[in-house]
Amino acid sequence: METKIGVFICNCSGTLNNIDFDAVVKKVVELPGVTSIKFISPLCLEEGKKKMLSCIREENIEKVVVAACSPEFKEHVFREVLENAGLNGHLFSMANIKEQCSWVHEGDVTGKVVELIKMAVSRTRLLQPVKMNNFSVNREVLVVGGGFEAINAALQLSRAGLRTTLLEREAVLGTGTTELENLCGFDINAMVMEVKGDENIEILAPAEVIETSGKIGDFNVRIRKGGEEISRKYGALVIATGYQTKLALESKLKSDVNIVSQEKLCHMLEDPELRIRPRTIGFMLDFADENSRLPTLATLNNALAAKRKWGSEVYVFCKNVKVDSERIERLYQEARDCGVMFLKSDVSPKVAAENGKIKIEAKDIFLGEDINLTCDVLVAEECLLPAEETEALSSILNIRRDSRGFYQDENVHLYPVASEKKGIFFIGGCRGNLDLSRVLTDVSSVVVSIYKLLSSGNILAEVERVKVDPQKCVACLTCIRICPHNAIQLVRVDGGKEVAEICDLACEACGICAAMCPAKAITFQGYRDEEILAQVETIGES
Amino acid sequence: MIIAERKPMDEIKRMLAPYKKVLVAGCGTCVTVCWAGGEKEVAILASQLRLARSAEHNEISIFEASVERQCEREMVAEIKDKVTEVEAVISLACGAGVQTMSEMFEDKPVFPGVNTTFIGMPEKEGLWVEMCGACGDCFLDRTGGICPIVRCAKGLLNGPCGGTRKGGKCEIDPDKDCAWVLIYRRLEKQGRLDLMRNYYAPKNYRAVKRPGRIQAAKA
Amino acid sequence: MNNCIVAFCCEHSAYPAADLAGKLKLHYPENLRIIRVPCAGRVDLIHILKAFEKGAAAVMVMGCEGGACHHMTGNTRTKERVKYCNLLLREIEADGRLVAMFNLSPNAPHKFVGAVNEITKRIKESGR
Repeated sequence: METKIGVFICNCSGTLNNIDFDAVVKKVVELPGVTSIKFISPLCLEEGKKKMLSCIREENIEKVVVAACSPEFKEHVFREVLENAGLNGHLFSMANIKEQCSWVHEGDVTGKVVELIKMAVSRTRLLQPVKMNNFSVNREVLVVGGGFEAINAALQLSRAGLRTTLLEREAVLGTGTTELENLCGFDINAMVMEVKGDENIEILAPAEVIETSGKIGDFNVRIRKGGEEISRKYGALVIATGYQTKLALESKLKSDVNIVSQEKLCHMLEDPELRIRPRTIGFMLDFADENSRLPTLATLNNALAAKRKWGSEVYVFCKNVKVDSERIERLYQEARDCGVMFLKSDVSPKVAAENGKIKIEAKDIFLGEDINLTCDVLVAEECLLPAEETEALSSILNIRRDSRGFYQDENVHLYPVASEKKGIFFIGGCRGNLDLSRVLTDVSSVVVSIYKLLSSGNILAEVERVKVDPQKCVACLTCIRICPHNAIQLVRVDGGKEVAEICDLACEACGICAAMCPAKAITFQGYRDEEILAQVETIGES
Repeated sequence: MIIAERKPMDEIKRMLAPYKKVLVAGCGTCVTVCWAGGEKEVAILASQLRLARSAEHNEISIFEASVERQCEREMVAEIKDKVTEVEAVISLACGAGVQTMSEMFEDKPVFPGVNTTFIGMPEKEGLWVEMCGACGDCFLDRTGGICPIVRCAKGLLNGPCGGTRKGGKCEIDPDKDCAWVLIYRRLEKQGRLDLMRNYYAPKNYRAVKRPGRIQAAKA
Repeated sequence: MNNCIVAFCCEHSAYPAADLAGKLKLHYPENLRIIRVPCAGRVDLIHILKAFEKGAAAVMVMGCEGGACHHMTGNTRTKERVKYCNLLLREIEADGRLVAMFNLSPNAPHKFVGAVNEITKRIKESGR
């Protein structure tokens, strides 16, 4: 027997005045499956929802169509009504008769409204329920890395009540963070002590990840520590392996004592026994690596320090000074006010070592003149690269890297700290985010995301909304190769035939697999071929 | 696996021009995996044909069906009812499938909708490369598991030729690897480079009797 | 569906853009029929071809801007698919330009209307 569909129409408190609702009701009543049609306005307010709820109950409505505004705004509201009435929230469609009909067309649109409702009804007739289920998840988290961001993340996760393992390649935590300490005044040692004293944090160092498998809530990780291999289970993984820097220098200049890195300059500035203060200092910035946020911060800080402490003449040769992060604009202004000279050039200046001095030849594009400068110390430009293990780890985790070799965010605008694989997150340097405020934002977003996912020990998710029919699957591996979320695996059904299987927890319901399956073995409830084609076929019928 | 690709529409239209009731028959094995003749492709071709014919005001009614393997008589028999209803069949299976259909339904013309091209493997999704020429006299033991007969543009048994490009690419197509460079590297890894010194006499392709016929030993 | 335009709209971009067009009371031809999809990547060749079979004048597939797809590759894959659909149409001597992919962001109602107008222009040019 045909299921009973209830159609609810709303005219948004009378704002849809180019529709003849009586005519609409007359037409819609004739549609197959429609057993009830109600005009309630406004439907989305308490009173409307109450009427809708009681109507669903009284008339034993099994599926619902709402003809009103856009589902973008109100779908969840009406879905809730369905659920309160004991119906499955997926047995529901909306016909957008407001934003996409009444408001964009002049004159009477009754005909189009009827057609939009028809489309929604024909889709709704085919809809099938989708169940929700609680999937239990492991509440432990693995943080890979031992630097500032990893330690910070581990501490915050532990405070959020999640047991955390900190896995570091080196024997001690907190190496390679001097630059940050100098720039930002963090006391890494205190943080390391705190981690060590935290009962909720286990430290594995030196250790490395050698294999991972599984999915969000249930990752199996094999770890090599000392001479032995251990297996652990985690609910989520956090990668905070940081970055490394490389001096952008011709090889013959590399050994020159007067050409230094930012870090070396920091040490010189702090050294009480430094005998000769450099009188002229040159900096290079933004020529070899355009991602120069961190180098810019370091250059400005160090230029100011040199000016203030030594009274040196400071010249910054740059292509651009990027002042887009916190504090930098102010620092730049301060540096200018103190007399730091910024010389803008399109091409990298020529650098030569001569009699213990450094000669720099550049063409300033504002002055339009050649500049020849001899300085005592040149601070070379530093290129930022992903840490050494990034490549190996990305293939172990099966996640992508971007064109510069850093980990690729799933979607830099929308899910900046998530990888394409649900449950694996990145923080800071390893994803190319290098200045401190951004790193701290990363840490917080990751901790919040993981807390949301794992804290209750359960994840509520839809069951088999997107599903592979094992009978039809020919194991061509297309879906497994193309799933952008890495949510599909090849499994053996009862130890026999191999087929693709979609992990409900990892699936983001995009439907790309359903579109590409050559055997049409994948169904996506709500957007099955039948449901989409039912709408297509209804168009223009009236 | 057998790799095929859809024939150009012109050819298909020409084959089906005289008929008004046609069955588009897919196959659920190799041609499904290589995106040429599975259920999805059947639906697309059927739709495209209907559009073409309605534009010509020469309506056609099309049935769609797919079987698991068109090269099996028993499986083809499953769609017998549909075949009896139509005037012609266009099969999206490989040559073996088309012929099985043809043999099963001798009174009906069965047309090939795909060109069966080679035996290959996927390099990534949607890209298949030739791996085996089905020569009937396998040579892979001597070449580190890389077949020069199909993967060398010239099919050389004694390679490489003088034209290998820098980076181990083929002189005929700089996008393709020189099979003999691959073979050298593979044998090097296995410590079997001495095999490169062997001379192999021209292959006697006539050793493969046509039509091929294989009787499994214990059947 | 005589001479309707079928627009498959991604719920992350084109669909809200169309809503915004409504809010701003921008106008576009009444023969547009929007079908909401979770990602442009869900739109398959058969959906497009069936729309033409049913008499659609043109089919638009509308997804997120390049690089902004919520599912990373959905819009690029579908762009390829639409390109292939172009070929399928040209193979049967139909105007391939009547199926087109548009990329826009959710806050681009004018671009949405522009796309609808563009396809309407193409329909006129193709003489339907």
